[in-house]
Amino acid sequence: MGLLLNLSLLLPLLSAVVLWFAPLNRHQVRRFALGVTLVTLLLVIIVTAGYPAQPLEGESVYASSEWSWLGGVGFAEMDVRYSVGLDGLGLWLYALSGLLMVTAVLVSWESVKERAGLFYGLLLLLETGCLGVFCARDIILFYVFFEFTLIPLFFLIGIWGSEDRRRAANKFFLYTLAGSVLTFLGLMSIVLLHWAHSGQLTFSIELLTEALRENPLTLTYQRIIFLALLAGFAIKIPIFPFHTWLPLAHVQAPTAGSVLLAGIMLKIGTYGFVRFNLPMLPDATVQWMPCLLWLSVAGIIYGALVALVQWDMKRLIAYSSVSHLGFCTLGLFSVNRLGIEGAALQMINHGISTGALFAIVGMIYERYHTREIRQLAGLAAKTPWLAFFMLLFTLSSIGLPGLNGFTGEFLILLGVFQRAWNHADAHVGGQLTVIAILAVFGVVLGAWYMLSLMQRLFFGRLQEPDQEHSDQLATNIRDLSWREFAALAPLAVMVFWIGLQPGFFLSRIDRTLTTIIEPAEESVSRVFQASNRNARRFPVESVKSKSGGSGT
Amino acid sequence: MLVDVNTIFWLWPEIILVAVASGIYIGGTWSANRTSWAQLSLLTYVAAGFVLLSHEWSLWKIEAILPSSGPLAIDALGHWGRGLSLLVGILFTCIYWKGTDRRLSSEFLGTLMMAIAGIMLVSRANHLILLFLGLELVSIPTYMLLFVSRSGFQSAESTTKYFFLNILSSAILLYGFSFLYGSTGTMLLTGHDGVPGIHESLLSIAASGQSSAMLLTIAVVLILGGLGFKVAAVPFHFYAADVYQGASNATTGLLSVVPKIAGFVALVRLLSIAIPATQEIAWQLLFVMAILTMTVGNVCALWQQNLRRLFAYSSIAHSGYMLMGLAASTAWAVQPDTDLEISSGSPTGGLAALLLYLLFYTLATIGIFAGLSFLGSEKREVSDVNQLAGLSRRQPLVAAALAICLFSLAGLPPLGGFWGKFSLFVSTLSVSTSTPLDSMFSCFIILAVVGVLNAAIAATYYLRLIGVMYFEKPDEPLAERGDRGCWIAMSIATSLIVVLGFFPGRAMRSARTAEKVQKGRFIQILNPDEPEKAK
Repeated sequence: MGLLLNLSLLLPLLSAVVLWFAPLNRHQVRRFALGVTLVTLLLVIIVTAGYPAQPLEGESVYASSEWSWLGGVGFAEMDVRYSVGLDGLGLWLYALSGLLMVTAVLVSWESVKERAGLFYGLLLLLETGCLGVFCARDIILFYVFFEFTLIPLFFLIGIWGSEDRRRAANKFFLYTLAGSVLTFLGLMSIVLLHWAHSGQLTFSIELLTEALRENPLTLTYQRIIFLALLAGFAIKIPIFPFHTWLPLAHVQAPTAGSVLLAGIMLKIGTYGFVRFNLPMLPDATVQWMPCLLWLSVAGIIYGALVALVQWDMKRLIAYSSVSHLGFCTLGLFSVNRLGIEGAALQMINHGISTGALFAIVGMIYERYHTREIRQLAGLAAKTPWLAFFMLLFTLSSIGLPGLNGFTGEFLILLGVFQRAWNHADAHVGGQLTVIAILAVFGVVLGAWYMLSLMQRLFFGRLQEPDQEHSDQLATNIRDLSWREFAALAPLAVMVFWIGLQPGFFLSRIDRTLTTIIEPAEESVSRVFQASNRNARRFPVESVKSKSGGSGT
Repeated sequence: MLVDVNTIFWLWPEIILVAVASGIYIGGTWSANRTSWAQLSLLTYVAAGFVLLSHEWSLWKIEAILPSSGPLAIDALGHWGRGLSLLVGILFTCIYWKGTDRRLSSEFLGTLMMAIAGIMLVSRANHLILLFLGLELVSIPTYMLLFVSRSGFQSAESTTKYFFLNILSSAILLYGFSFLYGSTGTMLLTGHDGVPGIHESLLSIAASGQSSAMLLTIAVVLILGGLGFKVAAVPFHFYAADVYQGASNATTGLLSVVPKIAGFVALVRLLSIAIPATQEIAWQLLFVMAILTMTVGNVCALWQQNLRRLFAYSSIAHSGYMLMGLAASTAWAVQPDTDLEISSGSPTGGLAALLLYLLFYTLATIGIFAGLSFLGSEKREVSDVNQLAGLSRRQPLVAAALAICLFSLAGLPPLGGFWGKFSLFVSTLSVSTSTPLDSMFSCFIILAVVGVLNAAIAATYYLRLIGVMYFEKPDEPLAERGDRGCWIAMSIATSLIVVLGFFPGRAMRSARTAEKVQKGRFIQILNPDEPEKAK
């Protein structure tokens, strides 16, 4: 499996180089790119399907393989490793990246006319970055993939974007870079503090997680490093006040770019939180929990309210991303198993449904060359299949029971309420209750703006934009082609699958989460038990309140 | 200065270069055929490279230090510097293959070779006089290259500015040397075979409790001033923008690389190797200079419209990053205990980081200026940012190469520049995580934070250039076919950046070996009983 995993990383990279230098015309290029993404998807599926349903003895990482990157034998001083492998947290995001990439190629099929070789090459480069970031087991390798995704997206937005593309590309790149360099410092400080403490220099995420569980950093260090990591991840996610790059980038990006931005890139931030902040800096996480929860809920409400007043379809969905990612962080920072499980699932749900929604908006744009909601109405009469998919993903996005969004949001809200009522002291509990109730309102708002978008676009009397070529346009509008159908159908299958059988997905996430959230749970119960003796303990056997640990 | 057969043996590469350069000067009066002279100089560099390898094959692989031979330091640091300068020589010979002015064909290449020999001497120097002569051997040819590279008023102005300020800086440096000599009574940087050098004398002075701190402080300040000019560090950077703007693209590349390598190697030799642990002032000064240099450089570069001016400020900023490494390495020397590094693996120290960064900075700069001179012609230099508009459509390969070099300068993975920045930040942070001193702890945290924020600022103007090349429509035609030599130099530099970015292990190990020059001495001094590990 390790071999296949590596192959799935290497194949798009090499194919990208081939695409840039081989003299292929546009049709050959896109077929080649589709072929590569399909083969990669096949590899991804094989790897994902092989993930053992029951935990193996003593093995936390699946399909792992590693080589020394910097040091050779005898010079193993700066032991940065090329080390990849999957665990429950990265597994589904890795699979999602492989899946969405096929969608991205298919939605660009007709819309990309200029410099197709460069476009698909960059897309494949991005695929390597996205797949890699979720299976990197080495801090430096993680950061390399994390940053590397910026370069192809910068060009994708800047060259093939809409009217304001240059500003969008620059803003996206600089915002993300400014945050992620601080993240880099934070990650390095973790490594070096561990080195200064134990004399052992390692960049392995597993070893560091374990070591920091045994010997947590002091609270001061945890706070500083938490802020440094937050800078990068919060911008990437984006958490509420850092979201300003997102609407611009999403709106200006070409369809494939928006799909991948929303579907995968935003998850890198939340993934980073779960991977680094929770297990490595548990005390700081707990300490800032109320603050972060407030920011999350602010993002939910703010994103939803702004989405309500948008007349640009893409912008509306972009703001809905802010709102939905607020749910993800809400779950994460409620620091209990239900919430984090829900957040982990919601990352995938959001990737599927928002990715698909952006793809659909792109399809509408290809037909009518407008993103303006007011110019369109009643499209269901002409394009029933498009309407069907739109409805499906809208419902999935607002969390209709039976579809994927429901499970995630439900678990997240459950997690927050549980944190608010069962495991918090009176003061914080009160705050958390308010937060939880506001979040529920966020769900309602979400249904409002998404359904009104649906209603305006697809129902009512047919209305199409009046342009000079309107007759020609009106006759040429067709329903989904097979290509577009193929882009959306797999996502629709996933919507039902996750919705109807969430246990299948959750059980695989669950196992890894145990090791990841234990330190934070211990810390949280320590903090809150100290203030509230009557609080019921969270029913996980391994939660022990350490008396000698560092903390507040 | 003791010169014996041994010294000459170790100096063969430099001797070859200087001899052939003189030959080119003389031969140039008979035959002005530039191509054949360029071929000859390429051959010479390669031959010198082989001699270099044959000398120090074992050194490169295993040991950091061989017993030094009087004025020459036979160590991995010197080897690194010489290897790098030979690479620079080869790349610039390609760039100057056709060159600007046919009347000066041979002299141009000979002069370049002299400057390269100068850097090689600087990296070998273990003696104040030799070090100074090496630096002058770099400077004087640089004036000539600067003056003849482009005719016109601007070029004369920029040469004059550079000349006078450089002379001044040399004087300041010499003045600093005199204080160093005055307080120790020796010209050798590090001693050997029982003869004490500056390093040993200062340690024994410190041990005996006599105070020469004042003199030493003055020496450090003056040395930093003199060499700070050569590397264009901030209070001494004012010449850079004007001088670069007045020169041709190729020569600007030379200016932003050659004095910088010489200056940094000299700084390393003097500040982190010769002047030892007793001097706290060194890292404090470097800390301030590093912060100022990178911030001023990056912020000024933001608004530049002239490409050479922009890269002048960007090269100032990169000096700031490298000063960060120097600060870390001098601070590391002041650390009371060095147990950590010996125990089990250690992060890169500042010195290795600096050397690695220097390598990638050099490659990226040469790549960019080779690309720019490829795009320009003898009549028309590419000088304005907007002249690059839409380059990716007309010259996709050149645009890609420039973009790769720019991304590498910005420090994005997986290109070479990332590993340079990575090592720098690791070395800076490792000083603060392992130091027991509070002031040092917070200073280096601040340094690292300012450093990364600067990396983000720098990305702004690099991205602007990339944006111009990729996102804009071409508005005016450039010369369609440029010089093949420039193209070759650009491709070599760019592919090295990419390849070393994916496989940085080898370069990093060599840099770390070179770093042991510093650490090795400390270990030796801390445990005098331990026999020297040299063969």
